[in-house]
Formats: sequence, C-alpha cells, structure tokens
Amino acid sequence: MILATLIMAFAFTLAALFSYLAIKSKDLVKATVFSAGQSAAFALALFLLMAPDIVLAYVAVAVGIYTALLLYIISKTERYEGDER
Amino acid sequence: MRGKDVAMGIATALLLFVVVAIVLLGATAYTPSREIRPLAKFYLEYCMNVFNKDWWAASPEAVTSMLWDYRGIDTYYETSVFFLAIISGVALFRIVEVKLGAEGKKEGKELGLSLIVKTSTRIVFPLILIVAVSVALHGHLTPGGGFQAGSILAVGPLLLIAAFSRHFLGNRLRLSEDKCLTLRSIGLILIVLVIALPLIAGAVALMQNQPKPWSPTSPFPAYVGPLWISGSLFFLNVAEFLAVGAGFTLLFLLLSIPEEDFRRILGL
Amino acid sequence: MSIESLLQVYCYVALITIIAVSLYGIARGYSLTKKLIALTIFGDTANTLMIYVGYRFGEEVFVPVMPTLNPSPEDIMWFVSVAVDPVPQCLVITAIVINMAITMFLAFLIIQVYRLYGTVAVKKIAKLKG
Repeated sequence: MILATLIMAFAFTLAALFSYLAIKSKDLVKATVFSAGQSAAFALALFLLMAPDIVLAYVAVAVGIYTALLLYIISKTERYEGDER
Repeated sequence: MRGKDVAMGIATALLLFVVVAIVLLGATAYTPSREIRPLAKFYLEYCMNVFNKDWWAASPEAVTSMLWDYRGIDTYYETSVFFLAIISGVALFRIVEVKLGAEGKKEGKELGLSLIVKTSTRIVFPLILIVAVSVALHGHLTPGGGFQAGSILAVGPLLLIAAFSRHFLGNRLRLSEDKCLTLRSIGLILIVLVIALPLIAGAVALMQNQPKPWSPTSPFPAYVGPLWISGSLFFLNVAEFLAVGAGFTLLFLLLSIPEEDFRRILGL
Repeated sequence: MSIESLLQVYCYVALITIIAVSLYGIARGYSLTKKLIALTIFGDTANTLMIYVGYRFGEEVFVPVMPTLNPSPEDIMWFVSVAVDPVPQCLVITAIVINMAITMFLAFLIIQVYRLYGTVAVKKIAKLKG
C-alpha cells in the first residue's frame, strides 16, 4: 500500500531531523526533548511496520524511562556543555 | 571548522554512501521483499496448529510463543543481564543510613508540585496500574507480555515521585528499597520454579511448554475449561511483570535521593 | 523504478543517515551525557532497521497474531501467506531490555564520575592525573 509507505517515509524523515537537532544542541535539556520526539516518530514507524509488541515496550521505555533518567542525570551534573572545544 | 570535525564529517558521509550502495546492489540479500524466510514460515505455521500437535506452543501469538517457548533460554539470559545491572546500581549507591529529612513540609510550604498536578496524578496512577496488569495477563493471546507490562508499571512510581515528593513514597507509603528488592527476587524465584518444574514432573528438558514427541509428559495444560492459558507462558509472563516492574521502581527510588544527603555522607 | 520502490529505498537512506549522525555524536560528543544520548539513539535505530528488514511489502500484510482460537487449515495457510516475519520482533524485544540495562548502568557511572572528579567534560577528565 502506497499510503502506508508514504507515512513511514514521513516518520523517518522526522526522526532524522530530530536526531540531528539533538546531537547539535548545546543545552542538554533541549537534547533530551528532541530525543523523546525522535522516539515518538519511531513509535509511529514501528506501528506501520506491523509490530505491536515492540510499540508497547518501546513507547514506555524510550519516551518515559529514558527521558526521566536523562533529566535525573542532568540535574545531578551539568546542564550546558562547555564552550571551549 | 577545525580539521578533526571536517575529517569526521567526511568519514561519516563516506560510510553513508558505501552502505547505501551495497544495499542497493543487493549484496545483503535481506532487503524487504514479498516473501519471508523459511524459519519464519515454520514458526507461523506451528505456533497454533491444533491438527499437528507435535510442535505447537498453544498460543495464537507468534512473538510471545517464540520469546518464552521456542527461544526461551535467550530470555532467561537477558533477565539475568538486567539483574546484574540492577545489582551494580544498588552497589554503587550503597548508603548505610539515609535520613530523608522532615516529613511533609519544608520551610513552611508543602513539598511536591501544585494542587492541580496532585489531583490529576491521583486519577491517573490507578489507571496506569490497571493497564499494566491487563497487558501482563493477556500476553499470550494479544500483543503484550511481561516486559511491556513491567515498563508501563515503572512509569507509575515515577509520576508519584515527581508530583508528590520522595518523602511521600518513603515515609507515608513505606516503600523502601528493601521491599522492592524482595519483590524482584520473588519474581525471579517464580521464573526459576516454572522453568525447573518440567524436570521434576517427568519431562526431559528444561523450559518445556507442551508435550513433544521425545518427552510426552508436561505439567502445564493448554486450556483450563473455557480459559486458554497456553501452558507455562501465562505464569512466566506474570512472574516477569513482577520482576521488571519492581526492578525499575528500585532504580528510580535510588536515583531520586537528593544530592545533599550523598555529599554529606561521602564527605565532599 | 516505481514510486513504491523509491519510497522503500528512501526509508533505508533515512535510517542509515540516523546511524551516521549518532556515530558522529558518540565519537565527538563534548560531555558524557551527550554521548549517552547518542548511544540510545544508535541502539533504537539499529532495532528499527531489524524490524524494517523483516517487513513484507505486498497487497495484504497482517500482524503475526492469529485472529482466532480454533483455526481451520485454510486459516493457517492464509496466515502463513500474509503475516509479517516474527523472528526479528522477538530478538528486538530482548535487545530493548539489554540496551536499557546498559543505559542504566552508564547513568549510575556518570553520576559517580561527577561526584568524584567534579566535571563531566571528556577533555578535562583526560587531563587529570590519577
């Protein structure tokens, strides 16, 4: 079905954009939010690839647990990456 | 841009180009096609085949029957890897005694977020529990299972720690790290019992679900009256749900202890 | 090349792009937290690539879950001819849990490094002696 492949391609484009923005940003809280957006785009693509077991596990882990874990790490260490390279 | 950045950029672009060219020219032979591999056909044909009960797993869900019956030893090893990670976290954060401070109020105002967040968390938290239990109990009939339900259950205490405070969980609800570790150990012991039971009951192999031609006895029935429990898959799903949910709750309880307490104890 | 096969190739190219970007992030990240974020993106993309390889492009595809509890032989034959590959899905569920265990362990280690050395920047840690 061409409609399913079209939406899959859109989801992967969105995921690529979010992952580039996550690696590029210097504020680590913004990087965490972009990583959660990339996981949401992947969840849409995984649903279209007919894998409902994986969607249940992936949404809870990547959007819920990884985001909370990274926010705990950021609050206990530094928030901004340094400027000298 | 510095030289190292340019070199790294050129290297990743080259990797991109080479891998896409290889896949397009068909070297991997696993590009998405219209037919699936013979191994997949075997699993799909025999996972719920009431006419040829030599190889069946009594479950209409091919993925769960592969996770806990056909490739069950993989799942057992992966549970032990998760256990090692939790033990290492508990060892790194070991504290002799943590006093969590005054309970309820600090400097005159209540701990936690505002009243709106607290009320809506009170409504949402039981719903999360119900969804997690339902996904665990139906794992052998519909998409679901132990891991999925354990991950959903882990989001509940996380919300409680954020909306109320860590003091609420530790002092009012009396949920300590020792209780979580006990729950996780109970789940793991249940898994080991269900795996070892076929050997005691007369079968030849560990982790056996239904009777096979080379070991014709098995203690797990495929259905009990009108209820379909798919042999050992139901019990393994419930035990894994308990183990994974308690493991995540333990890790979040450890992570949310404030830094001042740790620094005071470490002497930094 | 029809539009459908062009879209399939485009999906492959997008996935390989995310792998390349996350590898760059792991190698040249400035702080340990950024490297952890890039590592999680890399692991998730590898899992999605596995599921994408196991998909079945055709007119009628179905989830690998049989929709009835007492199937007839025609039901089983129809199921085998339209269902998606279930083997990569089983391996990916295991991979998600193992990646999660590794990420949690690394998180504890990063917090411990910050407590002992006071910084998470990789260049500053490399300059410490002992």
